[in-house]
Amino acid sequence: MKNFQQNLKKLEATDTQVLGVSMDSPFANHAFAEQIGVTFPLLSDWGGETTRKYGIYMDKYKAARRVNFLVGKDGRILEEQIDSSAIDPTKIVDACERPKLKG
Amino acid sequence: MKKTIPVVLLCAALLQPLARGQSGGGQMPKVGDIAPDFKMQYFDGHDLKDVSLSEYRGKKQVVLAFYVFAFTGG
Repeated sequence: MKNFQQNLKKLEATDTQVLGVSMDSPFANHAFAEQIGVTFPLLSDWGGETTRKYGIYMDKYKAARRVNFLVGKDGRILEEQIDSSAIDPTKIVDACERPKLKG
Repeated sequence: MKKTIPVVLLCAALLQPLARGQSGGGQMPKVGDIAPDFKMQYFDGHDLKDVSLSEYRGKKQVVLAFYVFAFTGG
């Protein structure tokens, strides 16, 4: 999440909203955001409905996998990063700047 | 009585996808797929706020960053 925070200005400049998601409670996520200095919303998938809908629920940990999705303005997925490759969001940040270049 | 077995099998076949969905076996969407809509909440320090994916349609790109647990890693 810190990596997205570091790139937040760049992402906002490309009309991109960053949303963190986990199966923690809204209050745990708020405390976590304050602790690490994240200013974008950390959404609470309490119960895991969204995590299951996205096919990334891990039975073993009863939690989501580490995955980043970039969703375009048309609602389609433009880019994905999974597990350890999701820690460095450079690929997503670069992809965000692509439509801007085209336009 | 003879009809019972096919009916039971039919029910089992119909219920199977439901059972699979509940155990988290849904497919991860691929690049190019429509991202499934959702409605979730976050706490902004004062109130619980609703956020849905569809509210950004046509307005903004959205990065969804799923992470495993709060207070772990970055």
